[in-house]
This record gives sequence, structure tokens and C-alpha cells, in this order.
Amino acid sequence: MKSEIKGLKEIRLFIKNRLSNYDGTFVKEFSQRNLVFDLIVRTIQSGESNSVILIGPRGSGKTILINDVLSNIQNNLKFSKDSIIVQLNGLIHTDDRLALKSITFQMNLDNVVDGKVFGSFAENLAFLLACLRTGEKHTSKSVIFILDNFDLFCAHHNQTLLYNLFDVSQSAQAPICIVGVTCRLDVIELLEKRVKSRFSHRQIFLFPDSDVQEDYTLECKIKQIEGYLMLPEVKSEININNNIRKNWNSHLDSLLGDKKFRNIIQRLVDIDISRIALKNFLTNIFFHLDQEKLTVEMFQLELDKLEKDDIVQVLQDLNVLELCLIIAMKHHDEIYDNQPMNFEMILTRYMKFANSNSNTQTVQRPVIMKAFEHIQNLELISMISSSGTRIQKEYQFFKLLVLPRQISEAVKKSVGLPTEVVQWANSSFT
Amino acid sequence: MDQTLSLLHQTLPCRATQIDHLHNLFAYKDEPHPETVYIQGGPSTGKSIVVTTLLEKLELKHAILNLVECYTAKILFETILNKLSGHRMDPKNPVPYAKCENMMDFLQHLKNYSLEDDLTGSVIVLDKAEELRNMEFNLLPAFMRLKELSGIPISVILISELVFQKFLSKANIVDPMKIDFPQYNKDELLEILSMDIENARRIVENEYEHSIDFDLEFYKNYLNVFLSVFYRACRDLSELKYMSRINFVKYCQPIITGQNTVEDQMALWKNVAPTLKSSLAVLYLRIDTSNQTDQVVKHSVGSKETSAQSLELPFYAKYLLIAAYLASYNSAKDDKRLFMKFHGKKMKKLKDVKMKSKVSEQLNTQLGPKPFAFDRLLAIFYSILDEKVGFNNNLLVQVSSLVELRLLSSVSDNCFLDGQKYKCNVNFDFIQEISRTVRFNIRKYLSDFSHI
Repeated sequence: MKSEIKGLKEIRLFIKNRLSNYDGTFVKEFSQRNLVFDLIVRTIQSGESNSVILIGPRGSGKTILINDVLSNIQNNLKFSKDSIIVQLNGLIHTDDRLALKSITFQMNLDNVVDGKVFGSFAENLAFLLACLRTGEKHTSKSVIFILDNFDLFCAHHNQTLLYNLFDVSQSAQAPICIVGVTCRLDVIELLEKRVKSRFSHRQIFLFPDSDVQEDYTLECKIKQIEGYLMLPEVKSEININNNIRKNWNSHLDSLLGDKKFRNIIQRLVDIDISRIALKNFLTNIFFHLDQEKLTVEMFQLELDKLEKDDIVQVLQDLNVLELCLIIAMKHHDEIYDNQPMNFEMILTRYMKFANSNSNTQTVQRPVIMKAFEHIQNLELISMISSSGTRIQKEYQFFKLLVLPRQISEAVKKSVGLPTEVVQWANSSFT
Repeated sequence: MDQTLSLLHQTLPCRATQIDHLHNLFAYKDEPHPETVYIQGGPSTGKSIVVTTLLEKLELKHAILNLVECYTAKILFETILNKLSGHRMDPKNPVPYAKCENMMDFLQHLKNYSLEDDLTGSVIVLDKAEELRNMEFNLLPAFMRLKELSGIPISVILISELVFQKFLSKANIVDPMKIDFPQYNKDELLEILSMDIENARRIVENEYEHSIDFDLEFYKNYLNVFLSVFYRACRDLSELKYMSRINFVKYCQPIITGQNTVEDQMALWKNVAPTLKSSLAVLYLRIDTSNQTDQVVKHSVGSKETSAQSLELPFYAKYLLIAAYLASYNSAKDDKRLFMKFHGKKMKKLKDVKMKSKVSEQLNTQLGPKPFAFDRLLAIFYSILDEKVGFNNNLLVQVSSLVELRLLSSVSDNCFLDGQKYKCNVNFDFIQEISRTVRFNIRKYLSDFSHI
């Protein structure tokens, strides 16, 4: 018994590591990888300047692909000697000044810069460009710029950085290669005209499993799952008992063939096809694992969680008074065809209901106001901004952000709700 | 390992699944921790306390921040670094661990620090995470993938009352791992509130300087009575706890005076029922009841009659206020019909017939006050006042004192001496009380009601 639990720990550790490390094995198969790799190699070897943008939805493996390429280059002694890699991220380097600072640092020029006092951003940039420019095409080291979240760089003032980088790449100066990474398909439209004309217009698209035909997606996903979960034969990778491993793998085999299981995965594929979604799904299951085999129920549970509507849960958490207000809003929306409402209208509607039911405890206006404000804080309703004049909060107009379906589901699910409230929620008039 | 888990279950009741989930995520030191965890749950559902105690018990390096306190990026970054590095600010010369203006500096300092001291497995907890949406655009997406950006295996826990959907915007955010903290149900509330028994004993002793001997059963009975009144209007644990403490003192009063015994629960319940009802009216308002009689408390907030009565306005000011209300809630074109004695015969039009079938949502009283000019206010004032009063300074002063009292508000700019515009701020119940004191039938002069 004890050894089994011990084995479980090892399995958990191994598979968690495999899931959370950004392994670059799968991108090796991508044809796009070679394109990027060749481009960078050409810059390093023959001193050609180049620019390229890599576009793909989130979780399609853009960053992994770039990292894989970069590590390949760094591992190659000849390449790494002849190149400098500068990595920038739109999330970190939010303006050109920061980006410039980071470039200086990453190019190991900070000791050169230290002595000088730059009066302005322009001077600093000019110096950097001069450093780049002085190099001959063949003698100087090539610089590889990786711009992650490329679309955010387009929002910088005047796009100065992008303009200058692309300008260098167009003229015969020190060889540089600019690789932009983004998930916006319309990224080219974000570039200013003068920047756009200097860009090589080489775009590489990366879509999840784009080389796989539609019919095979389920098979492909199952194969991926197998790749993640199967324990390797090689002893050195994981240190566990042979029996436990065999046991695990045979369980997994039967699971992968299970019809119910395949339905669940099919559903997952229908919702989200990306690899990151699958990874998250499996990670969630693995963080729960406390027995020595995977079951269909665990996958079903996780899928239910994925499909769960959070808003319904929030509605269930409201107290009876707040739920009544939400129901009053729903009725208002139905009667007036989604016209905005204010607190007074909802209060009148609620009071009508409360007075017609003698056993409802009436509460004071301030308490109802407080309940209304709580609903507002939860962003179940949103304020409709009106013209500048200040309006008292009772008369401020709001719009309901919850669907009638969600309300009736929440009413159905909540326990201990007074019957008259349930009836009121389901009635289509009053 | 299991010891801490069972300890957590004991100290934090009714949160078993959530604790198990979090424990599973963070307890194993050699396993990789998740990148981001999003914790969602209503107010006082134990989100912060569970996370805090768990991280403390597991002895993970952590920094817990409230985004309401750290309202700018600079403060946020510097506080995180201070907490992770254990740097203490000297009150005489408060210097942070490192100066951080932006995300780049922050990541640089984080990397530098991780060389000195291993940051692997440390956790940054951001409470009230919804505030991140109103800060710089890069903060939310950057914190959601801090592990990737910094290269240090560090986790981020976001705590918020909102559902995660509300965070989705243009910035492409990868869905984090989510944990729900649902609201406690009635039984769970009862269980948690009954843990407060020692406190209740002490409060009673402090209040009456005389302790009474009661057991858990007695206290639970009280809580049952208490929840039956309050549960409908409030599920917020901290508010319920506060209210239960206040009302328990009153529940015990008959025992102290010797009217009832501890066993006599029916009588105690009958005794406390009106008190509970009246304190339901001041829910969330936190009005100190200790040195006021019930009557005063009840009147000071809830009921409108007395609030209008207690406001002792001069006679003309009351009429001015009524006139202001009429001007705000009637449209100017109805003035002739409402206020002139001989307004000529009015042809009934289709529009007027429609007016009668007006639904309550389109009533002026529901849509709020409209601004009106000072001239119109005076005209209405003179027409509803029976006696003749000269237009003098006193009247003007009364108008400005009404504005001071916030019963009226001035809409237009102060630079116009002529043609000031006002709005009336009081509601219908209030003005009805005011007009009752001067025996004025306001319904007759409101176009919302006059046709009824």
C-alpha cells in the first residue's frame, strides 16, 4: 500500500513537470519553425538584414517556437559567437525609453553608455544606431531582435523604435533580424505608413494543428494526451517500480479507448482546440490526483467545471432580497424591451411583489438600496453614463447584464428559496 | 503534511473543498506550482483568510497585497519587493528595498533578488484584483504570466469578488486555474457563528457586570431565531456576526433582570423579536445603538415621517421646498393647467387619454427631478401660497439655505447671477410629510397624480 502511494507521488511529480515545463518537442515538427530558423541563420551567416512577424492565436506555441529556435542558436558555438540576441516584450517595455534602456543592457553597451550623458531620448537612440551602423556588413556581429507582443509596440509614441529598427534593417548597416510575435491578425494595419514601407511584409502564420485534417482532430488530441500521460520505458527519466509503471500505462490504455472518455475529449475539442487548453485541462486533473489511476469520472468532473457558468454561481450566492431585485429587473427588461431602469422603478416593482405577499418581511429602503449597490459592485448591472449633470443615485440609469436564462437556472438551483419568489421568477408578467 | 491539512480544516470550517484544492496546488514543495490561480467568491466567504493561513502553515515565501492600498504601479512593485525580501521600512527614513517605477525595473529587481535568495515556489497574492483593470494596461496580463516573463518559478494568486469574465478585455489573457468560494448556506452560517460563543459570554459579562451560565445549545437556539429574521436580507458573515453580538445582549436582558430563566426560550424569543425586527432596519448602517433608546434609533434612519418632521424648516421654506418639488417633477407646459384658476377650457385630446394609461415606469416621480429656473420656482411658490407675502431678502436667503441643506441642488454655474437653475433632491415620501405639516395636498398639483 505504502509503496503504491509513493509511486503515485513520483508519477505526479513527473507528469506535472512534463505539463508545466514549456517543452519544445512538438514545435520541431512545424514547417514554420524552419522558416524562422533559416531566416535568423541567414542573418548571422551572410549578414542579410531581415524582418518577419509571427502571427498566431494565443496558446498556439509562438513563444515556444521562438524559444526553441533561440536555444538552438545559442547552443551552436559558431552562431552564438556571431550574434547578440535582444529580447523585448510589449508587456514589460511599455515605452521606447524603457525599450532602449533594455536594448543597451542586453547588447552589453551599458559600460560604454555609462560615461556619456545623454541629453535626450533622441541622442541615446542616435548613439545606439551609430553603434549598429559602424559595423560592416560582414565583420560585425548580427543582432537578433525578438519583439514579443509586437502589437503593443505599435502603440508607442510615433512608433519611433519600430521605425528606426526597420530602417536599419532596410539599409546596409550592421545586420539585424527583427522577429515580431503577436496574436493580432491585423497587426500590419497598426503600423504607420512610413514604418510599414520599411517592413519586409514577411508574415508567418501559426494555427493550432493547422496541418491536421478536420476529421483527425480527435485522434490527434488523444495522441497528444497519450504523449503527456504515458510513462516512459527508460528508467533514467523516472525512478519508479516497473510494476507500477506497467499498471499505470495499461490503465491509461484502456481509458484512452473508452467511449465515454472519447466523448469528453470530443467536447473539449469542440470548445477549444488549442494545445494550451488541453494542457490546462490535464493540469487541473493532475493537481487533484490522489489515487493511482485516472478515471473517466475525473475527466467528466473537470469538463463540468469548464462548462460551468460562473454567473449562475454568483446569482446563487445572493441573498433573497438581492435575488428579488434581480428578478424585478428581469421583469422590467421583458416588459420594456431592455430599456434602462433606475432604482426607483425596481423598488416599486419589488414593493408591489412584497406587498402582495403578506408573509414577506418588509425591509427598509436603505437596506434595499444597499442590496442594489451590492449588485452593482458585482457588476451584474452596469451604469449607463448620461450627460455630465450629476444625478442622484436613485435615478441613475442601469442596464442588466445577466441573461434571463441564467436567472431562472440560478432560481432553480438555489435551495431554501421561498415559494412565492420562485413563482414570481417564473411568471412572465407582473 | 497531513497534520497541517487537518489543522486548517479545524480552524477554517465549511471550506473543506477549497482548502483541499489549494493544499493540493501548493503543498508539495518539489512539484511545480501553478502559474496563476484565480479565487472568486462573495464578500466574507473566507477567501483571504484561507489563502493567508494556508501559505503561512505551509511556510512558503509569500507577499500578500491589497490592490486598494497599492493603488499605483510604483507602490505595488515596491511593496511586493519589500515583502518578499523581508525588508523593513525605517519609519524615520522610509526607503524601500528598491525603487521600481515600472514593470521592467520590477522584473530586474526580482531577478537580482532571486540570485541572492531562492524565490522558487514563492507566491504573490493580490487581493481585490479587480482594481488591476483600472491601472496600467500591462499589469494584469503581466501578472498573469509572471512566471514566463520573469523566468522565476513564482506563482500569483488573484482574489476578487467578480467572475473572471469581467477581466477579459482586449489583452489576450490565458485562462487561469479557478477556485470558487461559494457563499455559506444557513447551516454553515449557524456552525460558524456558534464558534463565537466565548465572545458572546464575554460581551454579556462586560455589559451587565454579571455573567450568566449558558451552554452551546442555548446559544445555537438564539442563533436560529436570529438567522430566521436576518438570513433573507443578509448572507454576509461579518455583518451577521456583528448583528448577532449586538442583539445577543438584548436577548439576555430578561435573564439578568430575573424575568425569565435560561430554559424559558419561548418567552425570550417573544421578548427579542421586536428588537430583531428593528435592528434589521439598520442592517449595514452600523449605527451605534448603545446609548440610544430603540425608539430613537428606529426613527433616526428608517422611517421617513420623523426625518421630515425632525427637520424644522420655517414656514416659507417648507412652501419653497414644495414649490421646488412641483417644479422639478412637473413639466413646464402643465403649469398653466395646474396652477391658474381660470385656464380656459381644455380640449380633450387623444394624448390626454393616453396620459391616463401611463405606466408607473414613465412617471416623472420615477425618472428623477428635472432642473428648473428660479423664476418658475417663485411663480409656483406664489400661486400655491394663500397669503400675500412680499418678495424680499428673507425669501432669497431661505432658498440658499435649502441649497446648503442639500434639499435643493444648484445645477447651473455660480457665475450666472441671473437665471440660476435648481433641482429638488428630496423624494416623494419626504415631500408628502412636509406638505402634511402645512396642510397642503401635494398630489393635487402633481401631473403624475392629478388625473387619477
